[in-house]
Amino acid sequence: MLDDTKLLAGLRQRDPQAFTQFFDANVDRVYRLALGMLGQRADAEEVVQATFLSAFEAIGRFEPHAQLSTWLYRIAYNHALMLLRRRHPEEPLPDDSESLPLPATLVDWSTLPEDQLLSEEVHETLFAAISSLPERLRAAFVLRDIETLSTAECAHVQGISESACKVRLHRARLLLRERLSQYFREQVAEEAL
Amino acid sequence: MTCEELVHYLSAYIDHELDAELSRDAQEHLATCQRCQVVLNTTQRLILLGHDQRRYVVSGALRENLYRRIEQSLYHKPAGQG
Repeated sequence: MLDDTKLLAGLRQRDPQAFTQFFDANVDRVYRLALGMLGQRADAEEVVQATFLSAFEAIGRFEPHAQLSTWLYRIAYNHALMLLRRRHPEEPLPDDSESLPLPATLVDWSTLPEDQLLSEEVHETLFAAISSLPERLRAAFVLRDIETLSTAECAHVQGISESACKVRLHRARLLLRERLSQYFREQVAEEAL
Repeated sequence: MTCEELVHYLSAYIDHELDAELSRDAQEHLATCQRCQVVLNTTQRLILLGHDQRRYVVSGALRENLYRRIEQSLYHKPAGQG
């Protein structure tokens, strides 16, 4: 296992051991971000490939004081955005100043048993819901609430201000809460019987 | 604090970014508003579900496939030659 300094030096020299370590440490987070933003597994795979290749080309310009993983997220975010533009060039970007989506489904599913909440189906439902959000909101939720980046890191990855990042995250949470509440509504009704 | 204001401040409340006075107002509202309490509970659970997604990793076969594809492009090896 290479430490950070040796890993960076190895990556710059295209050392296969450094590449393997870098890939293993980061492929999951790059894939989750791409899948959340794009919704399609094949597209997410394309972004993973493009991200690592771009990272290797640009590794000479990486500033050692920065976080390697955050830098990689930013490359992945930009590749996912480019692919989105190719897939949906006509989709208008929503305005951050639009009014907030107010909660309409008021079913308390928060106390459902863990095995119901942590199922594969819920995982797929959540990712489908994320990828159906307005484009600008998807990465905010993935980066903050799945990948647990700080607001500053999340803003940096997206190239936006921290306040804009908070607005996007809040909208994403409200919309996802609504969609999951609709999904869980029947299960809560069954539990109550 | 009204329900609309609570919704407006919900993420900031959950993320402990509200100042003391607003946070107290939010708590007072939540103590008397069942609907907003449900919105808070389910939003907090959504965030925990989000954290839980980190246990989903790229599966073995796909991981290997991605690794090979990138490795081949990186080291300029034609496909099929290791």
